[in-house]
Amino acid sequence: MSVEEQLIEIAKQGKLLTHKCTNCGYLHLSTAYYCLKCGSKGFEDVLLEGTGSVATYTIITVAPAGFEKYTPYAFVVLNLDNSNLRISGFMEGIATPADLPVGTRAKITGFDERGIIIEKQ
Amino acid sequence: MEKVCVLGAGSTKYGKLPDSIADITTQASVSAIESAGIDPKEVKASYISNVFGVADKQVHLGPVLMSRLGIPDKPSLTIESACGSGSVSFREAYANVAAGFYDCLLVTGTEKVTHTGTEWTTTYFAYCSDFFYEGQAGASFPGLFASMARAYLTEFDATEEDFARVAVKNHDNGVLNPKAHMQKKITVDDVMNSPVVASPLKLYDCCPFSDGASSVILCSEKFAKEHGGDYVQVTGSGRGGSPAALQGREHLTTIPSTKIAAEAAYNMAGITAKDVDFAEVHDCFTIAEVVDTEDLGFFEKGKGVEAVREGRTKLNSDISINPSGGLKSKGHPIGATGVGQVVEVFDQLTGNAGERTVKDAKIGLTHNFGATGASCAVHVFQSV
Repeated sequence: MSVEEQLIEIAKQGKLLTHKCTNCGYLHLSTAYYCLKCGSKGFEDVLLEGTGSVATYTIITVAPAGFEKYTPYAFVVLNLDNSNLRISGFMEGIATPADLPVGTRAKITGFDERGIIIEKQ
Repeated sequence: MEKVCVLGAGSTKYGKLPDSIADITTQASVSAIESAGIDPKEVKASYISNVFGVADKQVHLGPVLMSRLGIPDKPSLTIESACGSGSVSFREAYANVAAGFYDCLLVTGTEKVTHTGTEWTTTYFAYCSDFFYEGQAGASFPGLFASMARAYLTEFDATEEDFARVAVKNHDNGVLNPKAHMQKKITVDDVMNSPVVASPLKLYDCCPFSDGASSVILCSEKFAKEHGGDYVQVTGSGRGGSPAALQGREHLTTIPSTKIAAEAAYNMAGITAKDVDFAEVHDCFTIAEVVDTEDLGFFEKGKGVEAVREGRTKLNSDISINPSGGLKSKGHPIGATGVGQVVEVFDQLTGNAGERTVKDAKIGLTHNFGATGASCAVHVFQSV
């Protein structure tokens, strides 16, 4: 399986596959092939729960092809718990900023034709 | 290294253009050649920037252009770096003249997308994101910059009205530019009442989708002097990179590639941000101009909105930001934009900017990035 396929399969189980550098311990999303900090290539898999708080987001009303039927929806950037990482993804059912204050707790819940799915907790 | 000069410059009008991409690319190139007062046969090679040639059924634009210019034997190269293609192409041409490989190059940026319609243009542009994490999850480009805008509103003392003031200012400038796509004045209320595209950004916070082409003649100082026309010198050139996806950036309100490119360009030119008289910056969305003016060192982080509120970035104020009208009003034909900024600087520093002239300007800067600033180039120009 490619790195993207592995990340997708784990995301479908509501978790996030990450790579921890075996040399310096820095944590990356699993699409990293070399360590951002020390440049080494050895990683061990670390499964994150995919939980965190909303760092920022937008509510999209003019959508790219394939997403018109979901409008309005949110594209969300999540600060992941217990890590230095963020992940972005699709969140449905968000119509106004009142529905999603920055800092709202949220979690990865799946992966489908809308990419990584994130839901409020 | 050879000293490098811009000897001529020209653009088509930006907007919805009826002509083909091959046609507009040639029109802009001819106007640059005529502006430089040279014979096309003096052009040794061309650098072309374009992203979506496929949308107008023409990739491999170089040989088509060179054939129409009567120099089919001269080499050409097409460069893609999303919305930053023009400045990256300019930089590669600059490096080749500086290294002495060529004494005269044609640099042309071009784009033709409006015929594809809003939905498909939005879709094509999303291919410039880190698609696995962003475009695939429904992120549009307005959506990505809207995410930066919300982070900025959360972190700093700023309002959506502050962003709107950037649009108003750039439209004020664009009204004075006959080549601009959007030649109309707007008000803060117009922006605030325009339809939401991706909250908190509204339609008038966004640059338009534009067709257009821009072209410059880049040459050695020796070539410029021999030809006798007005020219400006390129004194600084810098490039930089950022994590492709927003999620990978340490700060969501800073574009690292801008800071890296600006530092390199300032160092090469031997100047600081304070020495810049005017700047053409990448204002694809109003939030982008605010972030750019901070990352370029004109204002402290978080203070860019205050500068806009106080009118310090208006034409002939503290620092004239986007005297051309910027991407917001002049328009954003993405492959052409970075070259179009150089056209504006050339016109300003050679006394051809008409009513939008920045008074007593000696040093101009261009700043153009790809996608959400994943790639960036900054150039510094001085009058001679």
